[in-house]
Amino acid sequence: MISTLGKALILASVVAATAGAFGGIAAGRSGSASARRWTWRLAYLFAFLMLAANALMEYALIAKDFSISYAAQVGSRGVPGWVAAVSLWSSLDGSILFWGAILGLFIALVAWFNRDNPAPSLPYAIGTMMAVGVFFAFLIAGPADPFKPVFPAPPDGPGPNPLLQNHLLMVIHPPMLYAGYVGMVAPFGLAVGGLLAGSLGRDLLKPLRTWLLVTWGFLTVGIVLGGWWAYEVLGWGGYWAWDPVENASLLPWLTATAALHSLLLVERRGILKGWTLTLILATFLLTILGTFMTRSGVFNSVHSFSQSDIGPTFLTFLAMALLFSIGLLSARIGVMKADADLHGGSSRESAFLVNNLLLVTLTLTVLLGTVFPLVVEAVRGTRISVGEPYFNRMAVPLGVALTFLMGIGPALPWGTAGLRELGRAAISGIPGALVFAAVGLVNGSRNAWLLVALAAGGFAVQVTLQQALAPAFARWRAGGENPFKALASQLSQGSRRMGSYVIHLGVLIILVAVAASSTLRQSSEKTLRQGESGTVGPYQFTFLGTSAVDEVNRRVEMVRFALSKDGVVFAEANPKMNHYFAMREPVGTPEVYSLPSGDIYLSVMSVDQESGVVGLRAFWNPMVSWIWGGAGIAVLGAMLALWPSRRRSAALAAEAKSAAAPAIAAGEAAP
Amino acid sequence: MNKTVLAIGLGITVPLIVILALGFGKDPNRIDSPLVGREAPPFELTPVGGGSPIALASLKGKPVVLNFWATWCVPCQTEHGMLQQAAKSMGNHIQFVGVVYDDEDARIQDFLRRHGSGYPALVDKGGKAAIAYGVYGVPETFFIDPRGKIVAKYEGPLSAEILTGYVQQLMEAK
Repeated sequence: MISTLGKALILASVVAATAGAFGGIAAGRSGSASARRWTWRLAYLFAFLMLAANALMEYALIAKDFSISYAAQVGSRGVPGWVAAVSLWSSLDGSILFWGAILGLFIALVAWFNRDNPAPSLPYAIGTMMAVGVFFAFLIAGPADPFKPVFPAPPDGPGPNPLLQNHLLMVIHPPMLYAGYVGMVAPFGLAVGGLLAGSLGRDLLKPLRTWLLVTWGFLTVGIVLGGWWAYEVLGWGGYWAWDPVENASLLPWLTATAALHSLLLVERRGILKGWTLTLILATFLLTILGTFMTRSGVFNSVHSFSQSDIGPTFLTFLAMALLFSIGLLSARIGVMKADADLHGGSSRESAFLVNNLLLVTLTLTVLLGTVFPLVVEAVRGTRISVGEPYFNRMAVPLGVALTFLMGIGPALPWGTAGLRELGRAAISGIPGALVFAAVGLVNGSRNAWLLVALAAGGFAVQVTLQQALAPAFARWRAGGENPFKALASQLSQGSRRMGSYVIHLGVLIILVAVAASSTLRQSSEKTLRQGESGTVGPYQFTFLGTSAVDEVNRRVEMVRFALSKDGVVFAEANPKMNHYFAMREPVGTPEVYSLPSGDIYLSVMSVDQESGVVGLRAFWNPMVSWIWGGAGIAVLGAMLALWPSRRRSAALAAEAKSAAAPAIAAGEAAP
Repeated sequence: MNKTVLAIGLGITVPLIVILALGFGKDPNRIDSPLVGREAPPFELTPVGGGSPIALASLKGKPVVLNFWATWCVPCQTEHGMLQQAAKSMGNHIQFVGVVYDDEDARIQDFLRRHGSGYPALVDKGGKAAIAYGVYGVPETFFIDPRGKIVAKYEGPLSAEILTGYVQQLMEAK
């Protein structure tokens, strides 16, 4: 019953997406209002069908209906309800189904928010997104069908991967990352729409920026939560390992970040249109590449679901999307004429250009390192791995340069900068740079790269704060408003500028924390008997004893430690060893004790019941919790930047009113 | 048509697609057991519930399917029924042997009473045999030819199709 209904919903969504794709193109070409109306309706219908199919699968998972193939594959009578619910995205077929729901939601939201937007590119945009929908719906209907009937239904299943049952972060990391991946379909669709319609006007730039920023926000959260999850669950003491799948999520983040910046130049100066659209197309293609990497079983990673047969289908889609994008760009990029020349070698515009150059270089570097093992295997037949040293050597200088640019860029004026302005920009953040470097030196940092990174970070933090608060400060000084009121009125008039500086601040905190934690970390590996102690960083840990608890799906062995500094005990830490009944090996859960200066990280490797000896890895990870905090600040900044300001929304409403009627009536279709 | 964009675009993406396509069909997580192709480590283990010990050497002359399992392991339960069936139908040509890893006699006997028992279940006290075979987790299955050489190893629960494939390999090795 559920199987049949699920299949019907998916097949209907294939039909809706196909019709919507053709409808969108037709509406774009003819300018027909009724074709446009139907395209919009089909977009809502597609979203509804996908959401209904997901709700149905949730029902099967929670009711433990093992006659449905996916529920039988990941379900288990022995798992708690919340694990059953989130196992929708714990394995291949379900995650693709979930993917479909997010895709539907994004398409419907873009359609809804732009229902009155007269831009001739919009029907094309919705049509393009629906074409992507056709692929995903087809994938769910065929190669990754989660609704296959199972007969006879097995009495019990293995349950989802224990690593995924181990932490609450698993509930939010995948949906955030999926939203960051799938959401890129929106800027992609809008960019393709712009290219097809041959125009990149204000009414297209606004949704383009909005959806790029929204998705960028999700991607940022998804990536950071992934690092946090790995840190809290995997027990090796780190949060980033340049694993192919981590790289896969970083690549579109880098190009999206570049696009957000160059989009500003398109808006302000009417330059770099073709380049910006290229970046946006590349971002979407990189998300598809990233999905392929996770889902095809070609790469070796914690994330890969091996033995998957959707790989070839995915690769075909990737190849088609790539060829379409390249063809479209080479055919239409000439239409995107710049409205002005880029002049002046030392303006803020140039800083944006350098930013783009650095981000794209970093993207290509990471991409090369990620696929290089495959190249070597194809050529020589042996498998090699490209490890952290390559990535660190390449990424650290680029990262430091980007950090510095985040300081110097905002300090530069728009247009052409004279020598005096340039000089002022170059010294504006020096106090901050000196303070940060000094704090590093006092705390024992002797690593040259770290000191340079700290100085660049300090420079940028100071400039960011100055720039963010300058208008409120001026208002306070000139008008005598109290500082908080001045800040509030600044925000009400333009939260976008403020938002982008808050994002910068968050990203700077992350960069500094990453630099400090990766260079100053200490670790020790120990075997301890009861009562014995060890030292890591400035702290000591003493092994107190073990205790075990039986739960429904696992047996948890808790290892108790006392944490102390200079002989004074201040906390207890309990890393665990989990023996899942459905699993071949035990899975450890490290204990992370966070302090503002850093984390004490204890991870149990082994517990020998007979001799009472535990094997332990202990780490001192400086500043790690600042990374999670920085991400929070960046997301807050993104929300602030998206918040419609009073002035802007009023102006846009007026603009839309005057432009809407004639544009739709004239139905200006481009190609 | 902008030829530069076309050339750069194709220059980057076509090799990428080719490389990715060549990556199919290779399991990146697979690590081959160093034991494959070598003499199977000898063992002599007591069947569950007592009785005279069975040695691997005494089984020479017949191909052996050696399955490491445990009652607490759910994947082992899923393959158990299929293995019993297979032992019944192929028993004339092939000797099936189960080695129970990290478990208790009472539990094993209870499990076999409920789920059926068609071939010897040997108890690996202290996990010595598991260590000798480099068992990484249960279930794991070794395919040993009549001269005592390991032909193949499989990790994880077997299905009837996979088992048939390996058994064919085993018969051809004769």
